[in-house]
Amino acid sequence: MDMLRIDDLHRRFGEKEVLKGLNLSVPENSIFGFIGRNGAGKTTTMKTVLGLLRPDRGEITVAGEKVEFGQTATNRFIGYLPDVPEFYSFMNPQEYLYFCGEITGMDKKEIRSRTDELLELVGLQYEKHRVKGFSRGMKQRLGIAQALLNRPKLLICDEPTSALDPMGRKEILDILMQVREQTTVLFSTHILSDVERICTDIALLNDGKVAVQGKLSDIKTMYRSDEFLLETETEADLVAIQNAFPFVEKIGRTQLTFRERKHTQFDVLNFVTNHRIRLSKLDRVEPSLEDLFMEVVDK
Amino acid sequence: MKSLFAFMKKEILEQIRTGKIILLGLLFVLFGIMNPAIAKLTPWILESVADTMESSGMVITSVTITAMDSWTQFFKNIPIGLIAFVLIESSILTKEYSSGTLILSLTKGLERFKVVVTKATVLTVLWTICYWMCFGITYGYTAYFWDNSIAQNLIFSIVCWWVFGVMVVALMVVFSTLAKSNTGVLCGTGGVVFASYMLGMLPKCSKYMPSYLTDGNSLIYGLTDAEKYMPSLIIAAGLSVICLVISIPIFNKRHL
Ligand SMILES: Nc1ncnc2c1ncn2[C@@H]1O[C@H](COP(=O)(O)OP(=O)(O)OP(=O)(O)O)[C@@H](O)[C@H]1O
Ligand SMILES: [Mg+2]
Repeated sequence: MDMLRIDDLHRRFGEKEVLKGLNLSVPENSIFGFIGRNGAGKTTTMKTVLGLLRPDRGEITVAGEKVEFGQTATNRFIGYLPDVPEFYSFMNPQEYLYFCGEITGMDKKEIRSRTDELLELVGLQYEKHRVKGFSRGMKQRLGIAQALLNRPKLLICDEPTSALDPMGRKEILDILMQVREQTTVLFSTHILSDVERICTDIALLNDGKVAVQGKLSDIKTMYRSDEFLLETETEADLVAIQNAFPFVEKIGRTQLTFRERKHTQFDVLNFVTNHRIRLSKLDRVEPSLEDLFMEVVDK
Repeated sequence: MKSLFAFMKKEILEQIRTGKIILLGLLFVLFGIMNPAIAKLTPWILESVADTMESSGMVITSVTITAMDSWTQFFKNIPIGLIAFVLIESSILTKEYSSGTLILSLTKGLERFKVVVTKATVLTVLWTICYWMCFGITYGYTAYFWDNSIAQNLIFSIVCWWVFGVMVVALMVVFSTLAKSNTGVLCGTGGVVFASYMLGMLPKCSKYMPSYLTDGNSLIYGLTDAEKYMPSLIIAAGLSVICLVISIPIFNKRHL
């Protein structure tokens, strides 16, 4: 079943059409990477899912229920971490999670145990200071804790890692990995290495629409790169190949790459065999998300 | 219900921890003491400047101070108290938009009307406590030094001013649901009050304007009948209710 379904979502701000018929389906228990460059409309999409923005057109369902703008009952399924989470700065983390539990209608005993559990998960269990002096990283962690408080079926995180240093990023990603058993995670980002690290599924947002979406592994095979890496034993051999094939690219003393669409691997290997060149390596280059992203965006 | 109380508890905690309650408390206690104190000190002040005045040709005859002077001070100072109250509390809702704190509460399932109800309740209760505390202090000192019974319609005039304050609070709430920042709230609230004063200058509509309620002096000196205050009292009360009622659907439609 799809945890979240978006059908033909349109949204404009004034003259600017930000979403032009976006379709998205997030399968249950996936870690779903929602990728798009700055201003692509990631935050807009998420806010619409949360009923904070009214869509111009389109339908959204969360756990099979339709999302309504304003009074949004489907939010009971969702935990949300905004791009810049802000909490009541006069409270400390315990008090804040308590407050969150109370407005969600959890009972006292559960709030207490869940608060302790989550503060430990995000590493804030000894933090007794008020939120006022918190760093971005600490706020991000408290943000994850509050989002997970009422055991949401869907956790929506808006760029949870973009403001963090590498250590902080790794910690947040680890937390997302850990909660995967309990919930579906949808997170937006433009940091592709984060996506490669933890995502099972991705969607690429470009020009107001989802350009590609699916299992990360499927997409990688589908967009299999036509690039090969070739390594010779001597530099002279490399130069010989270079002279015969104008479109190869030298990337090291004995290394070059070429693309199938320019020179087929058979032509190159033919040349190698005919000239009795010894190879130390011939490799198909794994496509990176970067390439994929560029390819989709360039189209 | 539980979530309403939780949000209200948070609101009160905020008022306490950000020091707003203390500030307002001090301010209104100070005003409460100042009203009789200024009245009490008037002869003494006049005496001390009498010499200089005399040399410039003015002769000051001794003045008798009564409870009326204390209450005149009250009606002179309470507008400043209300303005301070509005300035201190004007960002009560708009700050939650700009910081984004409200988004987390709402996405946790807090119904929107509860936000409006909480903010309106807290503001009204705060205003009521501050105002009547200020009144109580002035009343106590005035009774101690002079005789309150010479002021006519005293309680009625005080109630009128309180209703005016409640209306201002209701305006603050409705403009908070419309505006983006507290500047909008201040302009809206100030604008309506200003318009009411301006229209009040036209003899034809003066007695229908809520600002009519702020003329407590005419009441305590017995210059105007209490009856005459009824239209403006009803209009102010009606306007308050309308403001509070429409702020709920306005807030429900708001994009955050
Ligand atoms: N309230 C608004 N009023 C007008 N324009 C808006 C509003 N919110 C968003 N936009 C516009 O919509 C576009 C998409 O914004 P959005 O915040 O959804 O992008 P994003 O993908 O989240 O970007 P980022 O990676 O920077 O967070 C932007 O061009 C922005 O200018
Ligand atoms: Mg964004």
